[in-house]
Amino acid sequence: MTVDVQYYVLLSMAVFCIGLFGVLTRRNALLFLMSVELMLNAANINLIAFAFYHGNLTGQLFALFTMALAAAEVAVGLGIILVLYRNFRDVDVTVPTTMRW
Amino acid sequence: MCVRFEPSNVTEMNDWIAIGALALVGVLIPFGMMAVSYLLRPTVPETSKRATYESGEIPTGGTRIRFNIQYYMVALLFVVFDIETVLLFPWAVAYQDALAADIPLVRALGPMLLFVAILLVGLAWAWRTGAVQWARTPRQLESDRP
Amino acid sequence: MAVLELPDWMALAPALILAGTALVLFLIDSIEPHSTNRTLLSGTAVAGSLSSLAVAVWFTVAGVGATGIENYGVIDIMNGQFVVDQLALYFMIIIAVVTALVTVASYDYLQDHTYQAEYYSLVVLAATGMSMMAASNSLVTIFIALELTSLPSYALVAILKDNRGSVEAGLKYFLIGALSSAIFVYGVSLVYGATGSLQLTRIATVLESGDGAVGEMGGLLGLGILMLIGGVAFKTASVPFHFWAPEAYEGAPAPISAFLSSASKAAGFVLAFRVFTTAFPLEATTGIIGVDWTLVFAILAIVTMTLGNFAAATQENVKRMLAYSSIGHAGYVLIGLAALSADGGDLVMGAAMMHLLVYGFMNTGAFLFVGLAEYWGVGRTFEDYNGLAERAPFACGAMAVFMFSLAGVPPFSGFWSKYLLYTELINAAADNTVLLVLAAALVINSALSLYYYSRLVKALWIEEPLLDRDRLAQPTGLYAAVIAAAVMTVVLLPAFGPVADAALEAAAAVVA
Repeated sequence: MTVDVQYYVLLSMAVFCIGLFGVLTRRNALLFLMSVELMLNAANINLIAFAFYHGNLTGQLFALFTMALAAAEVAVGLGIILVLYRNFRDVDVTVPTTMRW
Repeated sequence: MCVRFEPSNVTEMNDWIAIGALALVGVLIPFGMMAVSYLLRPTVPETSKRATYESGEIPTGGTRIRFNIQYYMVALLFVVFDIETVLLFPWAVAYQDALAADIPLVRALGPMLLFVAILLVGLAWAWRTGAVQWARTPRQLESDRP
Repeated sequence: MAVLELPDWMALAPALILAGTALVLFLIDSIEPHSTNRTLLSGTAVAGSLSSLAVAVWFTVAGVGATGIENYGVIDIMNGQFVVDQLALYFMIIIAVVTALVTVASYDYLQDHTYQAEYYSLVVLAATGMSMMAASNSLVTIFIALELTSLPSYALVAILKDNRGSVEAGLKYFLIGALSSAIFVYGVSLVYGATGSLQLTRIATVLESGDGAVGEMGGLLGLGILMLIGGVAFKTASVPFHFWAPEAYEGAPAPISAFLSSASKAAGFVLAFRVFTTAFPLEATTGIIGVDWTLVFAILAIVTMTLGNFAAATQENVKRMLAYSSIGHAGYVLIGLAALSADGGDLVMGAAMMHLLVYGFMNTGAFLFVGLAEYWGVGRTFEDYNGLAERAPFACGAMAVFMFSLAGVPPFSGFWSKYLLYTELINAAADNTVLLVLAAALVINSALSLYYYSRLVKALWIEEPLLDRDRLAQPTGLYAAVIAAAVMTVVLLPAFGPVADAALEAAAAVVA
């Protein structure tokens, strides 16, 4: 009994859109980071579902790499958010406006 | 390295009945035990029973306090090195096959050792630059200041 | 020329040397933490990037990656995960050159900086990622190289930890970078879903044969390609992911701005050239998704160059002006991808690559001059630069060369690469009217860019200074890098023939 691949794609698209919505609406840098993680994990769902569908392991392997890189990205991001807090006393991404957009 | 997944051809719902029964039993047991103890136990209200349990220590202060930034450094190092190990899984899966296929040990083991060696350089660097130094004495803080 | 018998993986040597240099820098910093021995650290980084450059040039001259009887042919590494051909070596050269210039200039710029070793190792690590990107031939390796480039760059932009501008720039760069890399990975997963492979040549094979379910997944594939374009747009600072560029370049230390706007952009373009020429053959892909993807690039090119140049013309801050002009130049290079549908599109792409090399010298030089101005502490706006030529004629002469070359004024190499791009575009436009629009946009924008570039030269050489200045210091490293970049911008002229041939040949080899 297997689930058809299109349901996995629907799930991953839903997760991706939730992440994108979070990115566009949240002002807290930490929540932004979490939303980006959601988007990356949506891609992982896709990769693993398609690896099953196509019957090769490439997608699963790539999902492992994505996970490792996501961790590294969070590490760098948290570091930047930390210096942001030290300089601006806030983690709101709309606060730093020394340069205009 | 191509693996075909055989779709299972189980069409009846037998598996799911077993899982449902297991879940039902799993829920019933704890609730049953709680119900039995509620019926049997004597009730003796006392204030010290309502205190937070902290391994026998008397709790002080609230829980929403700020943590030392050192926790962040250690947690970050843990996350990075912990997650890097997922990259060893594919190697571990392929290792036995590689040996069976008479690939020389250097080629089978070498890439993994190289990967770990690079991680070790990173760890050594983090260690030497004080990322894992737990706490600093006032004298150390004084000598660090230029 | 006799080349030693080397194993195949040694073809990646330019990237491996950079990786080794980064590790050596980490070891130096481990042995002596917080070292302020600038000569040792900067020297190691410069030596690493120069030897990477030397090896890449040697390979090119020896014919590694070139097809033909005398040559060694395209080298395939790890079952096609990496490929070393002329395109890869060409971009490795650009990246190594920019890295060398930036590390030389950083020697003075970082004089009283606390994090010397970290700075250089991050620069070299980012350069490693870019160099690997040039040789990547699979979406897996491309994504890893992309992240290896991006992550150190985020940290580098924010490395002045107590400077609010730098931290803000780092934050914005990181936020948009994280978003675009998430979109890129999702695009990769969709392309994988449609084709069942991540290796570029295998994707192309599947698309051309049209077997399996590819035909029914045109929608997924199209969406995936669109998302990949988003990732490319971020890396090359083109519309729609260009917002970060002015902020990041303005807030970052000037050598890092130079590095990001030249090397990082080149890396983004090699990724685009590689993916779109190898993985998505035009006819087969159009047949499946129903849209010609060069059209997307044509639109992006026009919007990017127009937006970049118009915004640059209104700036008062020099670094910000250069940032917008850098967006404009990304638009010029995007033409190389937009023209691929026409006959002779490979020549246009070669011309675009040529422009990237010239741009690597002139734009790096211009940003390093801004770094020099920051080192002197003269201020950031056009007015602050008034009359600098009295005190520093050599540096200002070099800056004038960069500005005129960026604008495309005849004697300088910036003109020749733009001219090559224009003529090849007109030749290719014979059967495609969209390209005529592109050519018109190129000319109009170049004319407009002359206005704001010459405005800076006027400020430097003609305007009277607002206040009297003392003698300006002459930092060796920064001066050496600026002068070297200026000399190369001029010297590329006599060498233009062979270099242009190399670019055109590399492009033709990939497109064919």
